[in-house]
Amino acid sequence: MPVQDVLNAATLGSIYLLFTLGMALVWGTIGILNFAHGATFMFSAFIAHVVTKQVELPFLPVVAIAVVVGAVMSTLTQLLAFQPILKRSKNQHAAEMRILIGGIGVAAIPLALAQRYTRSSPFGFQSTYDAQVYEFLGLRITTTAVIIIVTGLTIGVALTIWLRRSRQGLALRAIGVDAETSAGMGVNRPALALGTMAVAGGLAGLAGALLTFQLGAIAPETGDILLIKAFAIVVLGGLGSMLGTVLGAYILAAAETFVVVMNWGTWVNAVSFGLIFLILLVRPQGLLGRKEVRRT
Amino acid sequence: MSDWYAMNVVLVQTTLTTLLLALSIQVPLRFGVFSFAGVGAFGIGGYTAAMAMVHGEWTTWPAVLLGMVVAGVCTFALGLVVQRLSGLYMGMATIAFTLIVSVLAVNGGDWTGGPMGLYGAIGEITTTHIVIAVLVVVAALAWTELGGLGRKVDTVREDPELANALGINVNGYRRLSFLVSGLIGGLAGAITTLLRSTITPAEVNFHLVILALTAIVVGGARSWVGALIGAIIFVWLPTFLSFVQEWEKVAYGFIVAAAAIYLPNGVLGVAKDLWHKVRTREERAQVAAALTKES
Amino acid sequence: MIGARKRNTLLAGLAMATVFATAACGSSSAEGNGGDGGVADTIKIAQVQDQTGAVAYAGVGASEGAELAIEEINEQGFLGDGVKIELEKLDTAGEIERASSEMNKAMADKDVMAILGPTQSQQAATVSPLVGRTKVPTIFTQAGAEGVVTNDYTFRATPPMESYYEPVLDHLKAEGAKTISVLYNATFPTFALLGKDSVPQWAEDRGMEVVQSLPVEMTTQDFAGQAQQIASKKPDALVMLLIAPQSVTALGQLKDAGYDGQVVATSVQAAGNISEAGDDANGLVYPVPYSVAFTDESSVAFTKAFEKKFDKSANPYNADGYDAMWWIAKAIKASGDSSREGIQKGLVEVAGEGYDGAMGAVTFEGNDARVPGHLVRWMDGAETLVN
Repeated sequence: MPVQDVLNAATLGSIYLLFTLGMALVWGTIGILNFAHGATFMFSAFIAHVVTKQVELPFLPVVAIAVVVGAVMSTLTQLLAFQPILKRSKNQHAAEMRILIGGIGVAAIPLALAQRYTRSSPFGFQSTYDAQVYEFLGLRITTTAVIIIVTGLTIGVALTIWLRRSRQGLALRAIGVDAETSAGMGVNRPALALGTMAVAGGLAGLAGALLTFQLGAIAPETGDILLIKAFAIVVLGGLGSMLGTVLGAYILAAAETFVVVMNWGTWVNAVSFGLIFLILLVRPQGLLGRKEVRRT
Repeated sequence: MSDWYAMNVVLVQTTLTTLLLALSIQVPLRFGVFSFAGVGAFGIGGYTAAMAMVHGEWTTWPAVLLGMVVAGVCTFALGLVVQRLSGLYMGMATIAFTLIVSVLAVNGGDWTGGPMGLYGAIGEITTTHIVIAVLVVVAALAWTELGGLGRKVDTVREDPELANALGINVNGYRRLSFLVSGLIGGLAGAITTLLRSTITPAEVNFHLVILALTAIVVGGARSWVGALIGAIIFVWLPTFLSFVQEWEKVAYGFIVAAAAIYLPNGVLGVAKDLWHKVRTREERAQVAAALTKES
Repeated sequence: MIGARKRNTLLAGLAMATVFATAACGSSSAEGNGGDGGVADTIKIAQVQDQTGAVAYAGVGASEGAELAIEEINEQGFLGDGVKIELEKLDTAGEIERASSEMNKAMADKDVMAILGPTQSQQAATVSPLVGRTKVPTIFTQAGAEGVVTNDYTFRATPPMESYYEPVLDHLKAEGAKTISVLYNATFPTFALLGKDSVPQWAEDRGMEVVQSLPVEMTTQDFAGQAQQIASKKPDALVMLLIAPQSVTALGQLKDAGYDGQVVATSVQAAGNISEAGDDANGLVYPVPYSVAFTDESSVAFTKAFEKKFDKSANPYNADGYDAMWWIAKAIKASGDSSREGIQKGLVEVAGEGYDGAMGAVTFEGNDARVPGHLVRWMDGAETLVN
């Protein structure tokens, strides 16, 4: 039985990871805490839902639609909201709070649209794809869960490596450490930022599609619930470390699964957030975060 | 006047309690402390006051006072524990604190009323009472914004090393900000709960943090006046947006985003700039005239 | 710095002025107009419910039902020639504060004679004392928790779930179930009550054993763990008390985990909220206060009329609004008085007799509705009556 629980935790962790990756990527590199990430996730799935209501589609087209919608939404958010804020701010630090609030404002719009259309009822996909259940060695897992685990881990690891090894990854991390200096060194910040946001949006859309397949349906409010968890995961893993995010996602999922196995159902949130609280006390910069030098 | 007041008395009262909630988040931010524990204090204050009334049959103001004190103590204790954290890490820890308060409320059995929460805690609170409470809080905060104390607080926020070098007890100020935010948050929670007569675990959540933050940033983050402006805007927005009906939330989103983009110092900042422009109109005209004469 | 001090003195002065102003204005207690008899030509009713927000389907649904009722009442001249009912909609947007302020607006409006009150339990419990103080008759729909119907002016047209849920256990017993598991959202008041106390008690009374009790939170989205625990325990039946999106996910994951026992749920599954679960929801049984499958005469009449007007099937939320509005009309007819006091008296009178509405034969315990309710089974996208 414990092995089954490990499988469940792996699936849950991959769900969290897929959702968090986009947010962590942007936050850890160009320093934008995008509160519209949850709304992007949800709305991408919502548009895919609207399309599949007219036309039943197989798995990949549904995912493709969500990815594209997500990328477009994040790009627009960057162009219309975050870039103007950055231009009008003296420095990155002053812009942080405004970007946070800007994201909150932007997020309210797709949420309201989806709520209006669905009257807050859950929505899913009409797809020719049907998950199969695999049984082996007494363990059960669905094809969707397998896809999620593989996708989550692959992208998580790939991003980690890419950020460490590639030129663009280096440039992105440079922006994260010191924006002004990196601009002076020739890093084209606006272009890189836009590209990163687009990728993050695509990841949000990917998460939206995959999660909706896994859960059967989501509600317009689902994005907000995941947003807080994502926030917690990035902080837990340490800002700026993609590997930390990956670890954080699985640790959180493991803790939650443990609580469910023990049937302390109403204490899941307390355990999760209590765990994060404790870890922060022991390691104030998160598990693998950049150590900030604080002299006071 | 009286008719308008009767129809909108709840909104007026909500503006005041929202102001208090916003202040509980703004105070630590002004000290450079990223703490959202004010919302947790709101919950603690509200529940304590409700429990005192419902279980202990206390009267209104002692219950409010108890709520305030318990919230203040808990938040101060939290501050001691998390003071080594910085920036958004501390933010996350204080949000965790808030969410844990909510879980404790859900699992509190008959004490906290469980998921249903407590009802029937009917307080004898009039708008005048709330106004007086708010005035006291605002007066105290205004005092911290002025003169030498104001500059000290600004220095603690902007340049803690310099503050230390100047002999300001930075850590002491930071711990104080936790206590103050807890007291104000607890007061807000206690008053809101006894006004409404109910409190539920579902209300102590992330959305309150967002409400407080947006009110502060849109209104103006540097001063209590900004918090007041923000509270007024967000509490009265639905009334002014009633013509858009179901598109209200969309309009809200646009307004918040627009304020974040175009109003760096919030509405208060814009007001101050305008005031400054009006007051120095003559002076600037003279300077302009003098310059054109020379060239 | 002198400027700052001057400014603050000015503000302090303004503040003092505000204090005196509010004290002077005071709160004019809007008393209900005396019941001096007579039915006005236009009777204004306010609907203070969620038109937007997380459970918008309840308020929007009630609006539609109420509109149908008003159309019928006005066209039939039920209250007299040329007497019309007017509905004013106020949106509480899913927030308790909004419920408070919108109720306050409605009650302070001297033209409003009665109110359809908020659908969420917490909103309703908050405004309940207010209703008693300002003496405006308010009919709540949904809002099934305690603390809602607390005084002479609060009424409820939708029976609370515990009052019609027990037959579910009878059905399970009749089907031969001996073991039961309970999966419930323990942070949702109605489900917490049912899942922790009522259902286990009723099961025990009928000789059925509760072998598993699995509480979850509002924020729980993935049920793989719980589904597997249930599948391995293999209870004869599962009582599933979850909100709409959770139900869809849980049903799918139960199937994936290989559970094939009988699953019973709640009326939250009505209004098509379960349709996204597709085939996984086939065979799901749940009690509802209203369904298009009902065969009572009054229910069938409502179903037909609703379909004709809105070109779609009715759901329990539509039935809420319809019955509540008709209750008001019958009240006015009974007391012959369309003022607030008159409506209050009439509502009590009608409740004493009960009425036949969309929900069938409705009786009352005090001001609180009770219906027989029936069990329906979901199959291939539609509800059918059980037995």
